[in-house]
Amino acid sequence: MRIIAKLDVKPPYVVKPVHFEGLRKVGTPQELAKKYYEQGADELFYIDIVASLYRRNILFKEIEQTANQLYIPFAVGGGVKSIEDFSKLFHIGADKVVINTYAVQKDPDIINKAAKIFGNQAVVVNIEAKKWGNWWECYTDCGRIQSGKDVLEWVREVEDRGAGEILLQSVDHDGRQRGFDIELSKKVVESVDIPVVVTSGAGTMKDILNLALEANPSGIAIASLLHYNKSTISDIKEYLKENGIKVSK
Amino acid sequence: MNNTIGLVNYGIAGNIHSIKKAIEKAGGKVKVIEQVEDFGNVDKIVIPGVGSFKDAMEELHNKKLLDTIRKEILSKPTLGICLGMQILSTLGYEYGKTKGLGIVEAEVKPIIVDAKVPHMGFNSLDVKHHNALLNGLENEEFYFMHSYEMVNYTDIIALTSYADHKFVSAIQKENIYGVQFHPEKSREAGIQLFQNFINL
Repeated sequence: MRIIAKLDVKPPYVVKPVHFEGLRKVGTPQELAKKYYEQGADELFYIDIVASLYRRNILFKEIEQTANQLYIPFAVGGGVKSIEDFSKLFHIGADKVVINTYAVQKDPDIINKAAKIFGNQAVVVNIEAKKWGNWWECYTDCGRIQSGKDVLEWVREVEDRGAGEILLQSVDHDGRQRGFDIELSKKVVESVDIPVVVTSGAGTMKDILNLALEANPSGIAIASLLHYNKSTISDIKEYLKENGIKVSK
Repeated sequence: MNNTIGLVNYGIAGNIHSIKKAIEKAGGKVKVIEQVEDFGNVDKIVIPGVGSFKDAMEELHNKKLLDTIRKEILSKPTLGICLGMQILSTLGYEYGKTKGLGIVEAEVKPIIVDAKVPHMGFNSLDVKHHNALLNGLENEEFYFMHSYEMVNYTDIIALTSYADHKFVSAIQKENIYGVQFHPEKSREAGIQLFQNFINL
């Protein structure tokens, strides 16, 4: 299983959204990216969490400076709305581009087009899932706008359209550090044949182990636990290894 | 040994930035190749690759690089990375059938495995033949990110297992090497691989 560090960025700072509402500054993307790279992260996700919401363009310079110090895969998202955006991000050092709002609200065909040009492996669809009784709804704009789309139907659709990976976020669990939405994770992993990276909710290493054992996602993206120095990536990998989960060196 | 490495830039999909950075960190000098004339001053060639087999071949054709790149690969030490390795094959099956560069007798087909595809993440190598490129890296892990694999029976130097499925992760034909993984995304082990390539 891949252990991924996730930076939620409100330029120029990495922030920690608490339940998608209050924001706490925790450092700059450059310093945290370097720190987690050195700790042995398998990948880094960089999400500009306000670009879509503020309807502003992607801040490429900020991203390029972060990419420059990494020798691991770097996924970037937030405010992506054209093939040109994809192309520019790849040119400044992104290996994967993450998309949500534009594909949900405006044009899902952007997934097909991007997959054809850049390869499936380079297109990640972010899901912001909110639970309603016995189903989950897709949200956009950092957990603020409802779409009416059913998460389990949408993930199958984006897979058919050529997405190479799902980044699964839970609006209900994000920033709370009380464990993942295991049921949602299990259902999404079972629904598609592409890798699923689960995020939102790690409060302890035990939460991560539980998720691995119960839902077996391809990766876990961690934010708060790392930002607040509660655990390092190497602690997490060591702990998972001791408990029989395969992780990289 | 002179070490100007020509990094072939083709298409809008190519992420040459991170490969350039990694080669420079390994001590190599990079010249980005955009057109036929640029090949003149380079000693070695690196072919990157992000995107699909079909688009990559079309771009090489549109940039009128096809004939030259074939000749250059046959005369200079070359490293193909991911799709850059795959297009060395005779035929690719991504978005229909497309002829490759035909340097290596191989076909590129979708990975069929009882697990998630794309195969993404760090994985180990099972080095089958000792070679200069992977020297000292036999026990390292490298980052993979692919949905297609090269099917070849004659030039394999390393295999990798993904959920009990074995596939070709590195090939060598004389001075021509190809790796399915991304050394530029594989921490220090990847930098070491570029150093090995520079020292060829």
